[in-house]
Amino acid sequence: MRRLRAFTLRVAGLFAKSRRDRELAAELDGHLQMHIEDNLRSGMSAHEARRQALLKLGGVEPTKEIYRERRGLPLLETMLQDLRYATRTLRKNPGFTLIAVLTLALGIGANTAIFSMVNALLLHPYNFPDLDRLVRVWENRGIDEGADARFIAPQDAADLLSGAPVLDELTTYKCGDFNLSAEGNVQPALGCHVSANFFDVLGVGPALGRAFSASEEQPGADKVAVVSYGFWQRRFAGDAGLLGKTIQMNGRKYTVVGIMPRGFDYPVPMELWVPLGLNPAEKTDRAKLSLQSLGRLKPGVSVAQAQSAADSVSRRLQQEYPATNANRRTEVLQLRRELYLYTLPLFLLLQVAAVFVLLLACANLANLLFARIFGRQKEIAVRIALGAGRWRLARLFVTETLLLSCIAGSVAVAASFWSVNVLRTSIAPSWTMWVPGWDGIQVDRTVLGFTVLLIAIVGLLFGLGTVLHSGQAQPYTTLKEAGRGPMLGSKGRLRSALVVAQVMFALVLLVCAGFTTQAFLRLVDVYQGFQAANVLRTEIRLPEKPYPENSQVASFYDRVLRGSASLPGASAATLVTNSPASNVDNETTFFAINGRPTVKATEAPSADLQISSPDYFSVLRIPLVAGRAYSYADNANAARVAVISRSMAARYWPEGDELGQQIKLGAADSKEPWITVVGVVEDVRQNWWNPTSRPTIYEPFFQAPQRSMVFLMRVASNPTGYLSGIRDVVRGIDDQIALTGVDTLETEITDSIAIIRIMGVLMALFGCVALALSSVGVYSVLAEGVSRRIPEIGVRLALGAEPRDVMKLVLGQAIKLTGIGLAIGVPIAFAVNRAMSTLIFGIVSINLLLLAGFTLLLLLVALAAAYIPARRAMRVDPMVALRYE
Amino acid sequence: MAQKKDVWQGTLALMVLKTLGTLGPLHGYGIARRIEQTSGDLLAVNYGTLYPALLKLEQEGYISSEWGVSDNNRKAKYYKLTRAGKKQLEREAHEWEQTTAIVARFLAPGEEVS
Repeated sequence: MRRLRAFTLRVAGLFAKSRRDRELAAELDGHLQMHIEDNLRSGMSAHEARRQALLKLGGVEPTKEIYRERRGLPLLETMLQDLRYATRTLRKNPGFTLIAVLTLALGIGANTAIFSMVNALLLHPYNFPDLDRLVRVWENRGIDEGADARFIAPQDAADLLSGAPVLDELTTYKCGDFNLSAEGNVQPALGCHVSANFFDVLGVGPALGRAFSASEEQPGADKVAVVSYGFWQRRFAGDAGLLGKTIQMNGRKYTVVGIMPRGFDYPVPMELWVPLGLNPAEKTDRAKLSLQSLGRLKPGVSVAQAQSAADSVSRRLQQEYPATNANRRTEVLQLRRELYLYTLPLFLLLQVAAVFVLLLACANLANLLFARIFGRQKEIAVRIALGAGRWRLARLFVTETLLLSCIAGSVAVAASFWSVNVLRTSIAPSWTMWVPGWDGIQVDRTVLGFTVLLIAIVGLLFGLGTVLHSGQAQPYTTLKEAGRGPMLGSKGRLRSALVVAQVMFALVLLVCAGFTTQAFLRLVDVYQGFQAANVLRTEIRLPEKPYPENSQVASFYDRVLRGSASLPGASAATLVTNSPASNVDNETTFFAINGRPTVKATEAPSADLQISSPDYFSVLRIPLVAGRAYSYADNANAARVAVISRSMAARYWPEGDELGQQIKLGAADSKEPWITVVGVVEDVRQNWWNPTSRPTIYEPFFQAPQRSMVFLMRVASNPTGYLSGIRDVVRGIDDQIALTGVDTLETEITDSIAIIRIMGVLMALFGCVALALSSVGVYSVLAEGVSRRIPEIGVRLALGAEPRDVMKLVLGQAIKLTGIGLAIGVPIAFAVNRAMSTLIFGIVSINLLLLAGFTLLLLLVALAAAYIPARRAMRVDPMVALRYE
Repeated sequence: MAQKKDVWQGTLALMVLKTLGTLGPLHGYGIARRIEQTSGDLLAVNYGTLYPALLKLEQEGYISSEWGVSDNNRKAKYYKLTRAGKKQLEREAHEWEQTTAIVARFLAPGEEVS
């Protein structure tokens, strides 16, 4: 308590100093006078009385000094003093301050933005409690199922839950489009059939009303629905009385029993959920992988433990049910990690780039501070000569660099918030609604704190470095030498090393930024094998109710095709199960080749399966390589035919005898019909993440009709102008069918790589920042060095040197240093490129043109950095320059 | 001239407290004189030690000060003990006596040798 009181009073002592000083002076004076009076009384002369009193009492000024120190907090006072001095110094060097602050703000801002984005997307894509315990569970049939084919058979899911004690709960669901009828209108709605425990597993319940009960899973009792917040707001304007009302979907009436809270959007932004309602036969089915599933691990169970438990269940099922479960393996993947399986390397790349930019910023700061240390040798020497202690000097310089860090830090904090905000809002919601966690992107305080701390440490180190460095110098020699060219001796070597390091670092970063940007740009250009211009696309989904038979489905779509073909300007229309750039993988199927029996089921060939109507290849302009495409003549009554892709032909018929061969979808001994290969078409890249085109079988739609199809139409120009025409055609056939996902194919492609484009733009931005930072860095280090030689240049000129020769000397040295830096940097750049291309797919090898460009650029920057100050030096009157000596 | 000893901070504070405790409110000069007299002029008290010590005691709340007028009509700052100061005086005096007693006991047999 006493200490606290004393401390408070001492802080108070920092203020009203002059009044307190006057009081002390008066008190001391009173003391002296009383002493003199006493001395006089004891018989001394006036002069002697005063002399004795002064002798006895010691100096007045040192006393005042000690008293002041006791009165206030000397540490704080000198700190304030240092701060004032530092502010003055920084203000006197606005160029240095501005560059340092901007450099740091850029470095920190870019880092915070990127790390915040990545953390939000990768770590918190969903807002579910105990997100790390949620896992996706699916069955792999031993073929490349593709990214979206994460399905499980209903009975296998049930067996997994009962057989693997690692799972708390397991829920299954199946999603699709609903045709929602409202006031005579039909609108598409996104929805999911889910088992009753769906919301329990996710840990999120309805905001209003209730979730499903177990009894509502029974067929017949399943006419209840839970709707999303957005659905409630958009379609019912937030009507408080929606609960208990019925809505009509796919020809059935559903009672709304619950409304989910805002922001609940699993598996994708859904509008409604209804019970799964499987009948007993469907429930016990093992043959078809028909459901998606999501489990919640028991607390403390790792994903690896869950995987091994699932493996043992799979093995048991394989033995017990070889007919259906042979080669089936259950896979477990954390829900959090599922989303970004493909984009993870890209995210990592961005983070690496951000770290590089931060490193470059730190290196720049270090160089700037170093340059200043050299520039202030004389000042330091004067301070030491005047009696400044090492500790006092250290405080002065540390204060200065810390102040710089603080200013830069606050600018950087503002920059971080700004850049994160720009990042989040500048991208259209239509892209980001499919990126879970995007709305949750905010400045990550840990990251921000870390980077600011890093900068502070760099500042601290260099403040101390200044002092340590000055500690070596004897003030006398420094003062004598100050102003003389420092190109000789150890300092000159250190400076040269700095220039070399800066150039090398800059080159490596520039080249990295260059080839990663190139890689991103190339990813954008992935879709090959077809032409997307002037194609309109939309999705159509026929409900089971009015269209139970294949023939009805076929005749519906036949009328749609005929109707749209009659629209003026439409050149051709077609249907396909999965259009390119849909960001959904094709269905994968086993097949058998007639006359080529496979011993084991695992060795059965597999391929992507696409079902399309006749004009598919002409609408997308996919070139025919051999044979013929199928036509309307290849209908349900004709012999079954198929067209295969070039890579499929090359893999299974390397001799080129594929035409006329017979294949069968499924096992050779199944009841499926044999299909004759009649043609080969060029490969098509389906999605950007497929490194190559996969073998694909195309079946004619009218021999294998499907309910859900993508409708594609090629027109002469302006595809969106045909929208209402298509709508009218479909409405004319069945006014209960809604069109979804209506857009041009080109827009679809653009949207499908939205996240990659965002990253490409960010990467290019990093490249620009790196370019700016490294140019500034190289320039400032070189220019500073040349400026310090101005007196030397003056002497040379005064002694009669030709300006041209002097210039040559200065430029030559700059080129030499830069050259060494580049020579070290080029092999490092190649090594980094090689290392990265093995880590991250899509990274291209170094573009030599790019490399040459960057090298030239850095050389030019270096020349400018040497030339401009040298030229200034030439103009200086030799006498003036000499006077500095 | 006999070498006078400087007083060190801890003991000076105790002496100041004791002086104020015995004589009541007093100005700095009075305190200095009293300490020197009591020590039989073996101690010298100068500004540099006395005033910072007074300030410290005041900051710690053991003494308080106010401006007054001295015997010979001079304006002077008078210091006096606070209640906390009185307690502190008792405590410090007691501790000091204990310490000296202990040290004295240690030194006692050494006297024979020297």
